[in-house]
Amino acid sequence: MKRSITRSAGIIGTLTLALTATACGGSDSDPASSSGKASITFWGWAPGYEDAVEAFNRSHPDIKVTYQSVQPGAKGGYQKMLNAVTAGNAPCLAQVGYETLPSFAAQGALLDVAEHASGAEGDFQEAAWKSVTLGDQVYGAPVDTGPMVMFYNKEVFDSLDLAPPATWAEYEEAARKIHASGPERYITSPYMDYDYAGLAWQADAGWFGIKDDAWQVTMASKANRKVADYWQGLVDEGLVSNAPMYDQAWYTGLGDGDIATVVGAVWQAGVIKGGAAKGAGKWAVAPMPQWTEGDDQVGNAGGSATAVLAGCDAPEAAWTFAHWLSTDRKAFGDLVDKAALYPAAKDLLDLPQLSGADEYFGGQKIYDVVAEAAPRVNSSWTWGPMMTRTSADLNDGLGKAWAGKGTLAGALRTAQQATVSEMEKQGMEVAG
Amino acid sequence: MSNAAAPADTRSSRRSTGGPPPADGARPVPGGPRRSRSGALRPLLFCAPFIVLFLGMYVAPIVYAVVKSLYTVQRSGLGLTAPTEEFDPLGNYLRVFDDGAFLSSLGRVALFGVVQVPLMLGAALVLALLIDSRSARGKGFFRLSSFLPYAVPGVSAALIWSFMYSPQSSPINRMLEPAGVSIPFFDGDLVLWSVANIVTWSWTGYNMIIIYAALQSIPAEVLEAARMDGASAVRIAWSIKVPAVRGALVLTAVFSIIGSAQLYNEPVVLQPVSDGAVSSTFTPIMSAQSAIAAGNYPYAAAQSVLLAVLVGVVSFVFFTFTARGEQE
Repeated sequence: MKRSITRSAGIIGTLTLALTATACGGSDSDPASSSGKASITFWGWAPGYEDAVEAFNRSHPDIKVTYQSVQPGAKGGYQKMLNAVTAGNAPCLAQVGYETLPSFAAQGALLDVAEHASGAEGDFQEAAWKSVTLGDQVYGAPVDTGPMVMFYNKEVFDSLDLAPPATWAEYEEAARKIHASGPERYITSPYMDYDYAGLAWQADAGWFGIKDDAWQVTMASKANRKVADYWQGLVDEGLVSNAPMYDQAWYTGLGDGDIATVVGAVWQAGVIKGGAAKGAGKWAVAPMPQWTEGDDQVGNAGGSATAVLAGCDAPEAAWTFAHWLSTDRKAFGDLVDKAALYPAAKDLLDLPQLSGADEYFGGQKIYDVVAEAAPRVNSSWTWGPMMTRTSADLNDGLGKAWAGKGTLAGALRTAQQATVSEMEKQGMEVAG
Repeated sequence: MSNAAAPADTRSSRRSTGGPPPADGARPVPGGPRRSRSGALRPLLFCAPFIVLFLGMYVAPIVYAVVKSLYTVQRSGLGLTAPTEEFDPLGNYLRVFDDGAFLSSLGRVALFGVVQVPLMLGAALVLALLIDSRSARGKGFFRLSSFLPYAVPGVSAALIWSFMYSPQSSPINRMLEPAGVSIPFFDGDLVLWSVANIVTWSWTGYNMIIIYAALQSIPAEVLEAARMDGASAVRIAWSIKVPAVRGALVLTAVFSIIGSAQLYNEPVVLQPVSDGAVSSTFTPIMSAQSAIAAGNYPYAAAQSVLLAVLVGVVSFVFFTFTARGEQE
């Protein structure tokens, strides 16, 4: 019983963090009533958003934001938003993950607020800003990003006289030594969908691109092949645990040292802390390993935006709130504490909340490592127009591949074929 | 159009006036019209709340799904603006035959039903007969304990079993360890039967209760007579009790066929821990959901409609088949 509660809590926590998107939305009845007061509704689920909305309402007498908590996106929130847009009673603002934004655009569920948002581009990190724009359209304000680092069990590494690996080649060496020290010990566990995407992201192995007026799907590209083959090598040597991420077996492994690293986004610090209490004091954070020594390429996993939904009749007020939520020092400081969000806004990177020592990570100032990684996130990444489907197809293959049936490269190939086939059936242009 | 319809009207009215009086209450009954009108309206009034809910919550969504399935999604260019829907009544239904994932999900569930339903109902029947037998002790306890799994919500049951199956935690495999045996519950070939096991565990007791209730209605004299004729308990069970609960068996079988077609909870819960053995299109409902994940609602509607029609046909054929058997 206790186990399953911990587990669900872990899953929910993970989802919350992974999908931390700000949702604001909700055009209630009269956007500009006789008093001139705009009224908008905002749907989201991240802890701390409700308080932020209250603070906004106190400081902005001319705009009234109503916050409504919905299920996390993948748990039904996104479906609710799309339904509301179809029914014509959607809120003005909604919390939407970057990976899901283009799928929302493909449903015609977003509103272009470029005319209000112009000039804000410089406020945000490049990769985050790119995540909320398509061409010259702006669909919302980026809230947080998920720059990747390497969480590692320092106790395990120290006991084997290992330093945190600086390159993937060293990581492979470490994997062998760790597994040699105990048959149940592995360097890491399988990465699926958006966690795996972060690994590809770092290697500049994009999945989607836009050329002229057509999509390019490049999940099976040479660069992707390199990443897939690297991890395939580790799988073939039996160096990767089979505990599924966010499963109880995974948390247990993190806590007792059987899983020695997690290469993931900043918000996973919260997941590890919350799910593997036994590992307190043993874990530490280092930059993610590089493909070539001396490089400083970083991937991203997760992060979300406050998106403006189609049908919003007060887009200017909606943008005002969305921008405020992402850039207000006081409000975002609280979000760092409550939801472990890492700001997308440049000016917030020196928040005092991002400089504290973390007891779980042996008193390390973990955000220092993140701060170094954040500006290095490759900004050329593009998400596809039906990521929910693409990631499901990819996971079908990845799940088998990590278990030693089939290959990672094959999983990417199959997912690409399925995605292209569905895109063509719906009439989208796909370049060969 | 009205011109074309006129002759038809004339023809039909001529036919009805020429033939015997229609059967629909036009046969003269003294004081009939008034009484029948108020008689027809009053029950209608009492039924109104049900009818409104039935139409609104049950019929309307079905009609909506059917209508939706007649349109295909059309996008152009990058597809980053709202799609349009074009009337193309066969488009989605033809696509189904080209959709290997959906077809294999149908095949998988058919195989599941053919194996799991008879096994489960056989077990339920045997359990019911055992509890019903004269020499049974602790009837109440066994009846309740075999029914208990039904009280566990499907998702919770699947979560418990996913823990029992998981290679990392399986207490089953830990017990088998000394014998050097390890069951790969999530193996591609075995995973369907791992799912079947959960379903069987959850529903055998439920079906047992229905069959057991039918057993209670067998007249005591019949059983007494058989006993006095020297029939053994097994003989009584086989020749009297089983034929007597035939109706209950058919009923539970149809419920189970419908249940199999709707297989969803168990595979979805096992999916993330199954090493990819449970795919995102494992069952027809999951396949329809993956069409939704691709933003293709009409295609998901078409898959759902097709599944409903198939279940209807299978249930009908099963009913007809078993009814014929009864007459022989």
